[in-house]
Amino acid sequence: MAGKIKQMIDSIINQRAKDNPMLVGVIKSKLMLKGIDPNKFTASSDDDPAIIAKLEAVMKDLK
Amino acid sequence: MYIKTAYSTKGTSDDVIQDLKSQLSGFDTKMLVYFASSRFAPNIISQKVQDAFPGAAVFGCTTSGEIVTGKMLKNSLVAMAFDATAVNDVKVEVVENPKNENSVRKAFANFEAYFKTPMSELDPSKYVGMIFVDGLSGAEEKLIDKIGDLTNVTFIGGSAGDDLKFEATYVYANGKSYSNAAILAVVKPGVPFTFIKTQSFCDLGKKLVVTKANEEKREVIEFNDKPAANAYAEALGVAVEEAPNRFMHNPVGLVIEGTPFVRSPQRVKGDHMIFYCGVTEGMELNILESTDIIEDTRKAIEQAKKDLGGISGIININCILRTLELDQKQLTDDYGKLFADIPTIGFSSYGEQYIGHINQTATMLVFK
Repeated sequence: MAGKIKQMIDSIINQRAKDNPMLVGVIKSKLMLKGIDPNKFTASSDDDPAIIAKLEAVMKDLK
Repeated sequence: MYIKTAYSTKGTSDDVIQDLKSQLSGFDTKMLVYFASSRFAPNIISQKVQDAFPGAAVFGCTTSGEIVTGKMLKNSLVAMAFDATAVNDVKVEVVENPKNENSVRKAFANFEAYFKTPMSELDPSKYVGMIFVDGLSGAEEKLIDKIGDLTNVTFIGGSAGDDLKFEATYVYANGKSYSNAAILAVVKPGVPFTFIKTQSFCDLGKKLVVTKANEEKREVIEFNDKPAANAYAEALGVAVEEAPNRFMHNPVGLVIEGTPFVRSPQRVKGDHMIFYCGVTEGMELNILESTDIIEDTRKAIEQAKKDLGGISGIININCILRTLELDQKQLTDDYGKLFADIPTIGFSSYGEQYIGHINQTATMLVFK
């Protein structure tokens, strides 16, 4: 499977930043500090379970 | 004047408190932030400062040197008082055992109950978070990471010091001192505010990818699939034995939008490298080289002044490694003078926080 990571990253950014460009930058920085570089993932990136687990933890706090 | 600073270098804690009270006499203090040398008994100084300002939210931490308007100090106590114009509202929480995610959640639940708004919805343009952490807890990464997951409000601050003894550091709130703890304060300033994150390094353009790490221990086992110390030395073109001598001058950084989030190497262990803050597997780090702290800080202050249209107060958390570099280069006075015209307090810290946990950086909260 591929593309899930990009999908999750986009969802986190959309939900947290709500189109505020300043917040988009901050949330991307937070992800990079977790070891997830949003710019490196595309719709065809492999679904790495370790990264998906990290992103799931972030998404849990959005609920 | 809605922000006022005070400091004291007097001998006893009683004299220091009297000095502080006298300097802030007549000022209606709603919030007081203070930083105290580790020479003061933590439980005594925390109680006395709170008793001196009974109606105020009072918090701070121990240091490895203090900063006050125009000066860098040692063995002193520095304080910044805010009245109700400068700070409309503030809620302080103590997070004991900060590595435990549930401790952070509990503090956030208390913030939400107090502000009657979910922390995920609190407006980051109207609220700011301050964070001071036991500098020997090793908890900063997890703590600031969890905070960042729970809110868009920016938390800025640093890790308490103990005058380079590396024995015990404390954070202060509610008249008490705490170790293995963090102070979180959510503040609603009554005046505009901004942040400075300044570090004096250029990017040498040499990449080290963390291919194996023990994240819990801040240990990099391999860079670029090679033993970490060897890869670092090779990138700098020096012998492995020479590598530790380059740590202060050549740390590494996670470069985000052209700005490094510095991770400073502490020591070599076998052929691994131990850092002062966390590094995660897969992280691409660039080797940095130190530049001019004085000039870079001057520019950062000027920019903040321009952005806000004036500055009425700065809380400056300055990495102890920067302070040591300034000492070595006999630039301590010059650094202090950068803040000569601005009410300032600060301290030399064992780590800095802004979005993440970082090193060799000054994080500043700036009020108009």
